[in-house]
Amino acid sequence: MKLAKKECVVMLLAGGQGSRLGALTTKIAKPSVPFGGKYRIIDFALSNCVNSGLDTIGVLTQYQPLILNSYIGDGKSWDLDRMYGGIQILPPYQRVGDSEWYLGTANSIYQNIDFIDQYDPEYVLVLSGDHIYKMDYSQMIKYHKEKNADCTISVINVTQKEASRFGILSSDEDGRITAFEEKPKRPKSTLASMGIYVFSWNKLKKYLELDNSNPESSKDFGKDVIPAMLKSEEKMYSYEFKGYWKDVGTIDSLWEANMDLLGHDGFDLYGDWVIYSRHEERPPQYISSSAEVKNSIVSEGAVILGKVENSIIFSGVKVNENAVVKDSIVMADVEIKENSQVNYSIIDEMVKIGPGLKIGTPKDQKAEITVIPRDSVINNM
Amino acid sequence: MNNTLGIIFSDMQDWSMTELASHRSVAAIPFGGRYRLIDFPLSNMVNSGMHKICIITKSNYRSLMEHVGSGKDWDLSRKKGGILIFPPYALGENHGLFTGRLDALKRVLDYISSSKEKYVVLSDSDMIYNINYRDVIKYHEEKNSDITAVYTKYPLNKTCSIHKIMYEFDEEGRAKDILVYPIINGIHNIGLNTWVMNKDFLEALIHDAIARNYKDFSYDVLAARVHSLRIYGYEYKGFYAHIDSLQSYYDNSMKLLKMDVLQSLFYSKTGPIFTKTKDSTPTKYLNHANVKNSLIASGCTIEGTVENSIIFRDVKIGKNAVVKNSIIMQHGTIGENAQLDSIISDTYAFVNNDRVLLGYSSCPFFIKKHSIV
Repeated sequence: MKLAKKECVVMLLAGGQGSRLGALTTKIAKPSVPFGGKYRIIDFALSNCVNSGLDTIGVLTQYQPLILNSYIGDGKSWDLDRMYGGIQILPPYQRVGDSEWYLGTANSIYQNIDFIDQYDPEYVLVLSGDHIYKMDYSQMIKYHKEKNADCTISVINVTQKEASRFGILSSDEDGRITAFEEKPKRPKSTLASMGIYVFSWNKLKKYLELDNSNPESSKDFGKDVIPAMLKSEEKMYSYEFKGYWKDVGTIDSLWEANMDLLGHDGFDLYGDWVIYSRHEERPPQYISSSAEVKNSIVSEGAVILGKVENSIIFSGVKVNENAVVKDSIVMADVEIKENSQVNYSIIDEMVKIGPGLKIGTPKDQKAEITVIPRDSVINNM
Repeated sequence: MNNTLGIIFSDMQDWSMTELASHRSVAAIPFGGRYRLIDFPLSNMVNSGMHKICIITKSNYRSLMEHVGSGKDWDLSRKKGGILIFPPYALGENHGLFTGRLDALKRVLDYISSSKEKYVVLSDSDMIYNINYRDVIKYHEEKNSDITAVYTKYPLNKTCSIHKIMYEFDEEGRAKDILVYPIINGIHNIGLNTWVMNKDFLEALIHDAIARNYKDFSYDVLAARVHSLRIYGYEYKGFYAHIDSLQSYYDNSMKLLKMDVLQSLFYSKTGPIFTKTKDSTPTKYLNHANVKNSLIASGCTIEGTVENSIIFRDVKIGKNAVVKNSIIMQHGTIGENAQLDSIISDTYAFVNNDRVLLGYSSCPFFIKKHSIV
């Protein structure tokens, strides 16, 4: 039986290693890195989809997918356990003839043309699973339709200094893109691509096929597909996003984005645009008589007997008597034992520290952020 | 344990809980920062491997139904078994609300008869404890008992004993005397209103009750037939609380602020207590927050002082507000400079800036749902 078509299918790129996150991503893919006390980075893209009324999502995985796969499960945490559509994990697969890993972002979608075609969509929304933001994609799709565009790229205004880290666009008054440069040395504008694309499916399909038959191509959206479409003068528009958006591809930016949750003018998790996540059942947090908690975010199941300041404390963390956590991110089920001090650090899940140890260098000493990898047990230095 | 059927009574005794149960069933009373009372019997059953459970309700069951939903938060949204809520319905001569436990069971006799499980666990919703029913059923088998009653040793005084069933056992563990709602002092074996029976036995019991027009399970079955039935007691030794009045609600909530109680109830080997997922954000402590010895749920924003209190999900405590020895239920707002001591505020309560509200630990002050102070 052929079911009704879906207007828009979402393809979420979640296969990257995120090598700049160092020890945090040796065992897990970047989108499954924990964030903000109870989330993982991918929750933001997934929740944005659900809140925007998009319910058909393919998640492209390749690098260390174990935790990501079990985290997503059948998608019920995001209301994506649907009879038709819903969420589907798409790893590379074997087929008759050539079988390959995903060779680039564009190639990963090329290899899943059949998945998209099942739904016979008008549009395909391509997202990265490694950004922190709240965005209504339905507004962007509406804009794409209004402009009768072939491709719409979401952009954000960045500073001149930051611009050389991003794909930079120039567009005319109508928003039509006139130039695109990937990580330019001398940026011509400050409109940075957010890695969010709406394509008209028939156009994208054509360019993916062209790209695949081009042996010179690195099979990447930013480097190959977008420049090729631009060169052929397809109707490409920029859609400006005004709001909080952060690429958390580095240790510093991950730390900053977490700390932005504490500020008044940073990013707010509260409000009607709910960020959904999957989490284990935990009791409320317990703050003892000896504890002190200031300017921090604390999640369910945490037990605080020591001092916590300017920090993000995930579920099930235990901070024991006289332990101090400052300017740090402490992920789920970490135990900081008596008299230990944690400064300016990111402590990954299930680490045990102490007793009586000093981790990290205080932030005001202009040191680098200390990262303690998953499952470490540190009881002497 | 998928050979065991669970039957939970949502409100057998709501007569004594008028404030908290005025617009909800006892089972739906919020407790412990993020739970409702039904979560405890439900989680006990789920953690014991049971996944066919029915909840018998009487009235005011909207919030209970909303909370339980399809049961997926307890892993009970299933093709085989799962959860079923029985609101009162008219069938044959059974009209109106049920009059007691036996009458309630009579009305779900069809459901019980058509179930293929070998055992049944009956539980109320006003008792809080964390138990593994596997052990109780093993004991039930060993003793070859008709009814196995779960009990705990508990110090009674004349005011708290009147809602309890007291058991006396011989050295074999078989009940030799059962007192229903005694007025008594001292440490005694107190029933947790949880019984294990073979399903066939329960069916026969209900048929017998219909034939003899028995109404009350405690008097007509337990107490009256203590010598003819093989009633055995299984002792539970962890934390136990019976919520039967506003005062006991307050006292037992405050007990949660002790680490050993938290450990026994929430970190037991049996498993966690499950509840409805709300996707609240983590709780935010601002610069002026000063929190001591308190249980805080997620989604809160805290700018003031909180001491010896239980704060439910999505509560806001304003700047310089002081909340002591209090229970603030979900979506409560405490304004700036407000001072609260020994208060129980029901859901969505709003306390304006600068208000001063005082109760006392032996007489906590209650703020109704949705009220504005």
